[in-house]
Amino acid sequence: MYRYDEFDARLVHERAEQFRGQVARRLAGELTEDEFKPLRLMNGLYLQLHSYMLRIAIPYGTLNARQLRKLAFIARKFDRGYGHFTTRQNLQLHWARLPDVPDMLLELAEVEMHCLQTSGNCVRNITADPFAGAAADEIEDPRILSEILRQWSTLHPEFSFLPRKFKIAVSGSSADRAAIMVHDIGIEILRSKTGEIGYRVFVGGGLGRTPFIGHEVGSFVPKGDILAFLEAVMRVYNESGRRDNIHKARVKILVHQIGIEEMRRRVENEFAEIKKSGVLQLPQSEITRIAAYFAPPDFATLASGDAAFEAAKRGNRDFANWVKTNVHAHKMPGYAIATVSLKTIGETPGDCSSDEMDGLADIMDAFGQAEIRVTHEQNLVLPHMREADLFALWQRLEALNLATPNYGLVTDIIACPGLDYCDLANARSIPIATAIAKRFADLERQQDLGELKIKISGCINACGHHHVGHIGILGVDRKGVENYQILLGGSGAEDASLGEILGPGFDREGIVDAVENVIDTYKNLRSDSERFLDTYRRVGAQPFKERLYAR
Amino acid sequence: MPQVLTANRLVVGEVVYWNGARGWVQRLQDAEVLADSEAESTLAGAAEWVQKREVVAPYLFDVRLEHGVVVPVKVREAIRAAGPTVRLDLGKQSV
Amino acid sequence: MLVKAASIVEDSFTPVADGEHLPDGPVIVSLKRFLAERDRILAREQPLGVRLESGESPQELQPCLPKLALVVLHIPAFRDGRAFSAARLLRTRLGYGGEIRLTGHFLLDQIAFFTRVGVDAFDVAPNISVAEIQTALHEISDVYQPSVDGRVTIRDLRARRTAVPPS
Repeated sequence: MYRYDEFDARLVHERAEQFRGQVARRLAGELTEDEFKPLRLMNGLYLQLHSYMLRIAIPYGTLNARQLRKLAFIARKFDRGYGHFTTRQNLQLHWARLPDVPDMLLELAEVEMHCLQTSGNCVRNITADPFAGAAADEIEDPRILSEILRQWSTLHPEFSFLPRKFKIAVSGSSADRAAIMVHDIGIEILRSKTGEIGYRVFVGGGLGRTPFIGHEVGSFVPKGDILAFLEAVMRVYNESGRRDNIHKARVKILVHQIGIEEMRRRVENEFAEIKKSGVLQLPQSEITRIAAYFAPPDFATLASGDAAFEAAKRGNRDFANWVKTNVHAHKMPGYAIATVSLKTIGETPGDCSSDEMDGLADIMDAFGQAEIRVTHEQNLVLPHMREADLFALWQRLEALNLATPNYGLVTDIIACPGLDYCDLANARSIPIATAIAKRFADLERQQDLGELKIKISGCINACGHHHVGHIGILGVDRKGVENYQILLGGSGAEDASLGEILGPGFDREGIVDAVENVIDTYKNLRSDSERFLDTYRRVGAQPFKERLYAR
Repeated sequence: MPQVLTANRLVVGEVVYWNGARGWVQRLQDAEVLADSEAESTLAGAAEWVQKREVVAPYLFDVRLEHGVVVPVKVREAIRAAGPTVRLDLGKQSV
Repeated sequence: MLVKAASIVEDSFTPVADGEHLPDGPVIVSLKRFLAERDRILAREQPLGVRLESGESPQELQPCLPKLALVVLHIPAFRDGRAFSAARLLRTRLGYGGEIRLTGHFLLDQIAFFTRVGVDAFDVAPNISVAEIQTALHEISDVYQPSVDGRVTIRDLRARRTAVPPS
């Protein structure tokens, strides 16, 4: 993974000291809250329902064991001993105190981490496929471009006060494990007919109040041109994005208003101008230099189908169940990608205690895992496990209560913090998630249902990505009472689609039954081993509406 | 509709409520319930505390009185007064 | 209070409202007025500044830029970041070499960014000290991105570092 040199390190240290100065000015009254707010937001510090919340950046979701231990330490020392992994691969601490934050930033700087631009109207954390460097279908590790973009976007002098936030995601294969189609800019790495690797760029995707699937704005941008191309998009957005209404200020609204043809024209014009100066050309030497940080680990030459691994599966049903869902094929024979589910039945999705973080760091050391990844579905991934080590891994995860065998299943629910924590929320999401998970806790039932992605947001801002859930749930405030709307048929993968609202919402008592009815309807209608999503796409909303509302 | 004035402490971020006699208090039950006629002026008075860097983001919210107990009309304020409903060991409810 | 190159300087320009008589000496007029009365204003042959509101494009000044001593960018609110692109456009594509001055509501903490994109003078509140401005400009030593100011980037520094031959 990327290692800071003295320049990166100095920048995050100076940034921490800059914020210390800003906090001092705030506490001395030299800055009003109105003046301080954008400054603290650009260091990821929110004022939430109960307390300050600090959002720590985890660039493209990659952490090493030292960093994981530091996060555990910071959560313990400055917060309440746990953190929440988010749908943008970051970590949130919900109980920060303002004067502690500069010290927290310094602790983070010590392990090459920061909170830069995790909020504010600037380019946010660049997210990428959590299977990067391990997936068999990968054309190129998306984190190489992600790191280049991280540096390009950090403290960008022209684009730090955009009309609104700007989110970029990168996928390294045609399979989209980074939800690129619902980002402000989504980038797909692909190979041209001549074998050259380049980038397909989408613009204007996004969730929230007005969800959109992104449109192609660049069909094949050569590597050397990517920074110039992205600056062109940013400049068009900075100049023309709406400034009069924060609900209409995202780039997706601009694309919707002027149309993708006009957007493409403006971007291409700007791109042509930028190219003239040549200043933003990305030299191959720089790409090669950054790529070296993401060189694959020294893989041993192994045969696939490790005998001990196969025997362990036959001998231990719980282990076999875990492998069935939580282990994915690796590009190297004898290796595997292991998902650590943070969706323990009955507990807050995506939460991880300091003890669990330390335990995972120990596991990383025990199995020689240099990296752990945070996924945008609030789970963790150990990307380069040896098949031969999987059983021992599973046993250690079991001891930590982190071996829930539910990746991708109905209890692998994404939920935003919601009204239990968040100042913006209208309804609680976590207790809905835990209630649904408990209702479907039976593992056989879960496996029978297969891939079923439920995503829950506590408000229209859609941090739970409900628009792209196979079953999405949106919590609203209906005359002061929490109410839950069901959407069906969304997908955040390469077959991206936005969920459709099924009908009137349900209250807290009714929503779990409603979800169960939806799932039963699917079961009755499915052909063979069709996924829920496929059944819905085949039969449409009508059968589900009838089941829930015809009375 | 009776209202209560609330804010967050600038330094620790903690939720606090206004009681004219006691200042900013931690528990909703210790807050002063304001009648319509006094709510706006009490909110205006909070500006002084913002200026003094005691609190930020003061606002009013609706409450009912049920047998002498102050009950927020909105779930949001009930949660804000107590803590996360999914972690009873955290927030004011745990103290 | 006008600050240029982190020191306080005299402001010799007089801003003139639309419709008001233009006094003798250097004046600043709105873009609207400039476009409406351009020839007459230029005929004065005195130092001239034009003020752009957020959302007004510097492109509109393009043919006349060599005749302008000053372009003023007015920021209605610090969240409005269009002036960053406007300044950049003036310096690069439009090749403007006169003074670009920032006025309105901006944060001390934005001055470093504005300087990078080509703004060279700032209308700040009188209680801001030169020391504060110096701090704001130098708090972050190095920059990742190339910009108008031609500052050496971290990529350049890295290349230099590796290019140094062993002694």
